[in-house]
Amino acid sequence: MSQLSQVTDILKRLNDEYQTSTPKKLKLIDAYLFYVLLTGIVQFAYCLLVGTFPFNSFLSGFISTVGCFILAASLRIQLNKANQSTFNVSPERAFADFVFAHVILHLVVINFIG
Amino acid sequence: MSSSFRKIFVALFLLCSHIVCTSTAASSNLLPAPLDSFKNQFQNALKSLTDISTIHYTLGGMKELGVQPAENLCADIKKNVDSSNIESVYHATEAAKTLNNCQLPVNEFGSIIKTTLQGDKTTLAELFYAVTSSRNLQIPVDEDQVEKRLKTLSKSDDSILGQAYVLMIASQLNTAVAKFYSDSIHDMVQQADEVDGKALQYEGGIGTTAMIFNAMYQLADKAAVPLKIDAQHLSKFAYYFSTKRHVATIRSAYYLIKAYKLLSDPKHAVPVVVSRVSPASITPESPSVLVSITDLMGHPVGEISVVAESAKRKEDGVVVVSKQKLTPKASDFSVYELPFYDTKIPRGFYTIHLTLNHVKSETKLIGLSDNTIEVKVTSEVTIENAEVNLADRDHSAQVKTHKLSYPTTLTDKMDIDYHQKLIVKFQIKDKKTNEYIRAQQCFLRFTNKQSQKEIIYLAEAGTNSQYKVEVDLTTNSNDFRHQSGLYEIVLIIGDALLQNSFSWKIIDANLGFHEDAVSETRHTLSYTPKPEIRHMFRADEKRPPTVVSLIFSGLTLLPLLILLGLWIKLGFNLSGMPFGLSPLGFHVSHAAVFALMFLYWKYLNMFQTVRYLAIVSVPLFLFGHRVLATLAARRSLIIDIPAVKSISNPKSTHREFI
Repeated sequence: MSQLSQVTDILKRLNDEYQTSTPKKLKLIDAYLFYVLLTGIVQFAYCLLVGTFPFNSFLSGFISTVGCFILAASLRIQLNKANQSTFNVSPERAFADFVFAHVILHLVVINFIG
Repeated sequence: MSSSFRKIFVALFLLCSHIVCTSTAASSNLLPAPLDSFKNQFQNALKSLTDISTIHYTLGGMKELGVQPAENLCADIKKNVDSSNIESVYHATEAAKTLNNCQLPVNEFGSIIKTTLQGDKTTLAELFYAVTSSRNLQIPVDEDQVEKRLKTLSKSDDSILGQAYVLMIASQLNTAVAKFYSDSIHDMVQQADEVDGKALQYEGGIGTTAMIFNAMYQLADKAAVPLKIDAQHLSKFAYYFSTKRHVATIRSAYYLIKAYKLLSDPKHAVPVVVSRVSPASITPESPSVLVSITDLMGHPVGEISVVAESAKRKEDGVVVVSKQKLTPKASDFSVYELPFYDTKIPRGFYTIHLTLNHVKSETKLIGLSDNTIEVKVTSEVTIENAEVNLADRDHSAQVKTHKLSYPTTLTDKMDIDYHQKLIVKFQIKDKKTNEYIRAQQCFLRFTNKQSQKEIIYLAEAGTNSQYKVEVDLTTNSNDFRHQSGLYEIVLIIGDALLQNSFSWKIIDANLGFHEDAVSETRHTLSYTPKPEIRHMFRADEKRPPTVVSLIFSGLTLLPLLILLGLWIKLGFNLSGMPFGLSPLGFHVSHAAVFALMFLYWKYLNMFQTVRYLAIVSVPLFLFGHRVLATLAARRSLIIDIPAVKSISNPKSTHREFI
């Protein structure tokens, strides 16, 4: 019982910490990451439950979600102030990279979608 | 051994015996000319005479064969002749010559003959036609002019056919000219091609060879010199002519008949035709070999002493006759007899070598030695010690034996089932020598009385020519297709040296097989068309129901709502968005890229897409650069207000600023 309350306590503190110390723009990226994650889960569930039949379509959809997730995560890392010493890039440069990477990614995704 | 193998054996045996039989007829002897078949050929040609050359050769050929053509054919000649063509005129005059009273209009042909004789471009053939025509029509010819022309032409045309025309023209001029050209005969003979070391021929086939051959004789006669063809060459020509039993054209037939006649002319050397007139097999009914000795036309060549040097058995070279003189059978000395049927001469194929000698040497005969005649001595046989044994497969019961005596059939039906095997034994005895012999073909045939299907087994000989056939009803049941029922069993004995090849019905037997009968497969069935092959497209993969697809489409869209909800909750706004041309351009070009992606999905291919993408990416880059530069400048300006960089949903084109 106490352990459970400890766990919930830790989680609550974690949440509070996140709400207070995370900049708003990172929260927005987190929301986006959550959205992409959910979409990927739904696609994977479809694949498990119904089947992989248009396998190329499944593949391109799943590549899209995984790729978007990775790119968004990269963006988040680059925008994080705490990492500024590691990545010496401006937020605009990071965003431009993000857009460019997306264009390339979706060229591949559309190529596969069939 | 399966029945198909046995059938192959049967076929091989038949083939072998056929080869043996036919080879008795083949030898390098000359054959008498097939005059009747030529006569038929000419008579058939007479039925439809439309071509002047055919008329010439047909009438000429008939006349050579001693048949006088009907005078009314003169009208045909006149109708078909073309007076402007020297070849046609030649054929017409030659044809008219064969008739007793057929006058051609000399004046009509005079001009063409004259122009041909005087022309500078006349070929040897045309010159020959012109000279012959004028001789036939008794038009005088300027012999010196023709001789000069002949000399020029004979130098320019040295083909063998050209040389033949030279001979034929020269033989119609004076004797001196003929003598001048007679030396070339020897060269021409040397130019002939040898075939198999037996025959001589010229390029162009039988018609050309016979024509050239005639030309040589014609010139030699005119020049009154002996023909310079040695006996060896002459007999090779004769062999070539005598092997031509059928010729395709009337022209060939005409010249061939002429060649036969020249080779039978006692003025020249005459090749002798030695042929057997009695049947090939020597039996008590025809106990002696009859040999006819004639020329190619079938006329007797006078009294000759004929000696059988030897008669050898082909199989082992045993000599049964040596130096035996043949007796003349006919008063004209055309047929000679050699008695051959003798108990001492065993069955077999024999080659008899004959040597001929003149008794009266009026004519020069060639081909007197190395003549061979092939005969076979046959014998009658009977079957002895024949028996049918019925034995158990596992030897549990005693063997039942039925004695057989040729040619009676056992009246009792025999029942044979799959536990038993049938063994037929017999020996073949030569009636003349009382020896047991082996025959080429010994078979045991089973015929199904109902389906008439035959199954044949080979009888194999053991020691002392003891033949045996063993049919095991279990191991051989496939041959019978397991079809139980009444079968007729027949023994077949055949041999080229048997007078009485026979099949002997031994017995009827009821065969019982263990397994069920295999139905007959009609062999014609395998020739019927096979069912058509239709192309089959691959079946579609199984798709989930539409409802499921729609639910999952909805489910994938649901997180988008969650995202928007979260963003609104976090305080999403567009207040930081700068206005102006650059941001607008950036958003429009960004949207264009996504629109292009959609088009790529629906309509375009990779190369088109990349091309358009290159175009769209230029404004996207320029505007994006300027917008982000503006934002960066603003951020550095208001350094104390935290500027939050945007994120963008790749599917939407909006960024938001705080």
